Amino acid sequence: MRGTAIRAVAIAGAVALVVVLGFTMTDYHQYQFGIVAYYAVAILGLNILTGYTGQISLGNGAFMAIGGYTTAILCGHHHIGALWTIPVAGLVAGFFGLLFGIPALRLTGPYLALATFAIAVAVPSLAKRFDHFTGGSSGIILPIKTGHYLYWVSWICVAIGYVVAWLVLRGRTGRAFRAVRDSEVAAVSSGVNLASYKTIAFGISAAYAGVAGALLAIGAGYTNPDTFPVTLSLYLLIGAVVAGLGSLWGVIFGALFIEYLPIYAQKTYFGFAFSKQAPSVVYGVVLILIMLLIPSGVAGLARRLYLKS
Amino acid sequence: MRKRVYALAAALIAALAVLVGMSAGAGGTPGVTSNLISIGGTFPLSGPASSYGTIPQAEAAYFSWFNAQRVGGKRGAFGRQIAFQYLDDGYNPAQTVQLTRQLVESAHVFAIFNSLGTEPNQAVRAYLNQAKVPQALVATGASEWGVLAKQYPWTIGYQPTYVSEANAYGQFIAKKVPQAKIGVLYQNDSYGKDYIAGLKLGLGAKQSQIVDMEGYEVTAADVGSQIAKLKASGANTLCIFATPKFSIQSFAIAAKLGWNPIIFNNSVSATTTLMTIATKSSSAQTTNGTITATYLKDPTDPKWDNDPGMKLYKKIMAAYYPKGNPNDQFNVYGMSAAWTMIKALQGAGPNPTRASLMKALRSLNYRDNPFLLPGIKVQTGARDAFPVQQQQLTRWTDGKFVNFGPLITG
Repeated sequence: MRGTAIRAVAIAGAVALVVVLGFTMTDYHQYQFGIVAYYAVAILGLNILTGYTGQISLGNGAFMAIGGYTTAILCGHHHIGALWTIPVAGLVAGFFGLLFGIPALRLTGPYLALATFAIAVAVPSLAKRFDHFTGGSSGIILPIKTGHYLYWVSWICVAIGYVVAWLVLRGRTGRAFRAVRDSEVAAVSSGVNLASYKTIAFGISAAYAGVAGALLAIGAGYTNPDTFPVTLSLYLLIGAVVAGLGSLWGVIFGALFIEYLPIYAQKTYFGFAFSKQAPSVVYGVVLILIMLLIPSGVAGLARRLYLKS
Repeated sequence: MRKRVYALAAALIAALAVLVGMSAGAGGTPGVTSNLISIGGTFPLSGPASSYGTIPQAEAAYFSWFNAQRVGGKRGAFGRQIAFQYLDDGYNPAQTVQLTRQLVESAHVFAIFNSLGTEPNQAVRAYLNQAKVPQALVATGASEWGVLAKQYPWTIGYQPTYVSEANAYGQFIAKKVPQAKIGVLYQNDSYGKDYIAGLKLGLGAKQSQIVDMEGYEVTAADVGSQIAKLKASGANTLCIFATPKFSIQSFAIAAKLGWNPIIFNNSVSATTTLMTIATKSSSAQTTNGTITATYLKDPTDPKWDNDPGMKLYKKIMAAYYPKGNPNDQFNVYGMSAAWTMIKALQGAGPNPTRASLMKALRSLNYRDNPFLLPGIKVQTGARDAFPVQQQQLTRWTDGKFVNFGPLITG
């Protein structure tokens, strides 16, 4: 009962916050929060795969690239409205995710991580190879959107993403996912079809990444292979870990982290400009501290505090 | 239980208050106050193109030096100090977009200056033109920055284009190498194709002397088969329009095949450092006589030891950028661009607006940029949207470059 009340207040509060900010923040801050939102969508998808099903992926940036290029080609080349391309991008990326899920069945742990990493490396190069569709390294230009536009579209996608994730995870499928994560042997002996659940998890996660990629393309107004670097996939995993694997609401904090830390790492503190040397060092140190202090992420920390109080 | 609900509500309200605080506005000409002009740019300080990361630091050093000088009794430009912010986009255009928006909408810079890379600049061009923010002196050699001046009035390039450089090679071959049979190695993208267009322009009626052109993909592992085909085509002149890695391979493979053509190497891959590596991986015989083009003074050349421009460069490097490598020509490039930007800011008048800055950038006329080769003009006009267009050919001779011939206008 009390859990439900708190949850209701939290959800209502979060929704109210997003709505109010959508009318009060400057366009630039809305743009940044729009980026936070599409990172949240991508991390949400990754969390379903990694946090709930236990399948690690270092390649979700590649599915973002597939979604981003789908939108860029439809919107930039064929002048289809940006909004309509978002679900298409999700479906196309989800399809590739299902396809990739099949060979990935044979792999576990570090081997799966490497295989997924390989697609993160390969997809941008493929985009250069098929330059007839993708514009090669010169990329594709899309119409410019305001920060306000990106903000609303992205946060509505977050809301839909949450509802879908909740629906998927609450029932039979969610239980099957968690069973696979906790023990594959136990899951199989309880009648869970490993192959199909793992493949579905890959597909769902890739579809989320595809939507996020579509939003990235719309927000940036431009895509080329450098827009989806290998590090994007790593940042998503970092975001998922900071959020807390296996937690849905923590995802927003993971997204805030990967959006804002690189920006703050470039600023000057106490007269010492870290960026001139290496912003990535700051990034690394902060990440190590987080892993040491709150290994279970923001969600884990909150759970600990809650249990104490 | 109550307590928790209250705590949560309080936290949400606090977050809201902080975030609503982010919505402050601004008035007047953005980025200009009575004693400050703030400009900004994006550069790859990290990632695959981070060797260019030294450029903004040399620029910042030059601005710092300038801010300490008195012009007409006042420090800086009409008494305004120049504050230059440079941000790391890692050569990722999506980052460039976000950071450029940050510079324009959050840091309220007056203008974007010298942001680096063709694709990153393409990604923000429409945005900056729509917002009417100057995209000044972009650091890329693509020709579209000048060609599309009408379509994008708030955008202007800086350095000689790839087209004009290759044009210089073409003109030289047409005049001085009448028996040339030309083989071309090019990167199969807009950069490589710009070079080919320029070469053909310079060759003019002698285009038929191109006997073979071999392209490679930037993702390729090596250019072995292309060089072998070019040799087999009977070419005695090789034009290398390739980035450093592939350029160095070309020398190495030609040496292995025992092929000794006259080589033209694009300036992108022809710094002293890179040519030294190419010589080590091939032979002195192969690289000797390689021709490229340049418009900057070479800090490693003792010829400039008593040149006031080079002396100033070395002084600023030592005083304001001691961690930088003074032998790196990218720093000379940065200072030459910063010099030009200051001229434009002064040209924009005592009460600069974004429009007056663009006007100044479109009517540059200077022959005394101390970091460019003597005689090279920085000039634009109603029909000329290309600031630096002249170059001089230079020949790799026994381990260093020796400039020769007149300045060539592309």
